[in-house]
Amino acid sequence: MSSDTNKKENKEAKNTEGQVKEKAKEYTIELKDVTKRFGDDIAVDHLSLGIEKGTLTMLIGPSGCGKTTTMKMINRLISLDEGEIKLNGTSVYDIDPVQLRRTIGYVIQEIGLFPHFTVFDNIATVPRLLHWDENKIKKRVEELLDMVTLDFSYAYRYPLQLSGGERQRVGLARALGADPEVLLMDEPFGAIDPINRLKLHDSFLEIQEEIKKTIVFVTHDINEAIKLGDKIAIIRDGKLVQHADSTEILYNPADQFVESLLGQDRSLKALTLKKAKDFISSEDVLTVGKDASQDKVLKQLQEKNQIIAFVLDKNEKLVGRYWLEKTGKKGKVEINYDEKPIMTEQNNSLNESLSTMFSSGEQLLPVVNRRGKFLGIIRLSYIFDEFNK
Amino acid sequence: MNLFQYVSENINKILGLFVEHFFLFLFSLIITTIIGVTLSIIVTDEGMEKIGKTILSITGAAQAVPSIAVIALVFIYVGIGKFPAIISLIVYSLVPVIFNATSGILSVPKGVIEAGKGMGLTKNQILWKLKIPIAVPVIMGGIRSAATIIIGTAVIASVIGGGGLGDLIFTGLKLNRLDALVVGAASSAVLAIIVDLILAYAEKIITPKGLKIER
Repeated sequence: MSSDTNKKENKEAKNTEGQVKEKAKEYTIELKDVTKRFGDDIAVDHLSLGIEKGTLTMLIGPSGCGKTTTMKMINRLISLDEGEIKLNGTSVYDIDPVQLRRTIGYVIQEIGLFPHFTVFDNIATVPRLLHWDENKIKKRVEELLDMVTLDFSYAYRYPLQLSGGERQRVGLARALGADPEVLLMDEPFGAIDPINRLKLHDSFLEIQEEIKKTIVFVTHDINEAIKLGDKIAIIRDGKLVQHADSTEILYNPADQFVESLLGQDRSLKALTLKKAKDFISSEDVLTVGKDASQDKVLKQLQEKNQIIAFVLDKNEKLVGRYWLEKTGKKGKVEINYDEKPIMTEQNNSLNESLSTMFSSGEQLLPVVNRRGKFLGIIRLSYIFDEFNK
Repeated sequence: MNLFQYVSENINKILGLFVEHFFLFLFSLIITTIIGVTLSIIVTDEGMEKIGKTILSITGAAQAVPSIAVIALVFIYVGIGKFPAIISLIVYSLVPVIFNATSGILSVPKGVIEAGKGMGLTKNQILWKLKIPIAVPVIMGGIRSAATIIIGTAVIASVIGGGGLGDLIFTGLKLNRLDALVVGAASSAVLAIIVDLILAYAEKIITPKGLKIER
């Protein structure tokens, strides 16, 4: 029955997509006047929010503002007291909660991987609940591990054998197991160290570009919200303060609360809206194969009057960098090789790329995707040109 | 005193008491495990966490009650014979089973349960696929303590008519026969060691592989 339901849902999803073009107010997730009380405390206060298909919506606010409660009411982990929540036009209270949750991906901060399940079994959880065929499950697990850039050898490891970042990737893969249309994420990168968090952000954005899910993402980090979100919904004391796209929020904060949430460095934060990939160029870039000899590279560099050559393997993955250095006397040049060149990921925000440039002293950086594939370069001068326009 | 002579002359009696002791133990352990684990599952159910925590402190404190007190109470209220002896063994050994099973289930990471629920596992699936397998090492620890406690306490329960190796020991005490006393004590010790080895092996087998990995 599961595959039938899936097909039906896909059809419905396509219909919704068609209708969106006709009338703009067809939401995938729609909250109407939703209220939730815990005893005498009001956690969510007549909150209305429409989430369009394929958008990544960040719910942000101070702790205790009701953002997590709001999210958990969508998959009925928390019941609502008043109002209505609709998923593709159907009230979630018309769907059996267990069935409802199997159609919505769910990622939490603790990740909650099942420690006694292998990575494979973790990712296969929902497909198995839906009684998928084992061959189909295996294919899906392979596909998902590849998507989150983990080798298939990880499939038979246990969560205790993984690093924090790897667990987070598996958590995301698990949530996508049965290819749900909607994904709920509750501070999924909250417990990850800052360096790995940046990497995960970049991969996550790249994956979202491929899969275009409707995602509700809870965070308390404004930088994360600006960097990841298509839309940002700011919540305070259970009320929706502002719901708009990131640019709008940055340039037109609704009130003082939003302004204070954004902080003093609003104009610098605006840099986060631009990504490294917006500045990629392949002009004057020399790339060489892995097996090219040093002499040959030196010759090529001198012919083209360049000082840097990037080394790519046969999958176009960036694996090294040659650079020329004047050794002082008689203008003699020496060729050097870096095995681990400094690089930036395509979804790195502009301030992250700038910061990498400043800290490494480089004026140009290679740009790669989450699999390490070389996409081009970004130059400091391009960035300044952009701002002079 | 000649131990070997005593053993060879009384081999049938000793073996009989050993077997009786073993079955007394086995029956009590099975009942205790069923009652204890079931009770723990009930008190650790969603929304029952407060009761679970109360049970945890009660059983924690109850471990300090001496076995003889339980046997005496059962003697007063139930009387004498095999049945009261088994009841006292079950009551006394329930304490470690409930304590361990409850704390084991309560200590399953909240994130695991929330993730399971959020992905659409039913209540039963959360119990049997997540809570129980993850708590297995702790639950088994409780069952192993219960086993050792039952074998030891069954010796004392022979004073209210439980039978088993306790008869040998108390006879030795009354008649001042050191050989009977030593044989009785050594046999119950051997039984306890063998049972614990078997249960340790069982624990190793049923503990899911992913939980045994060293960090």
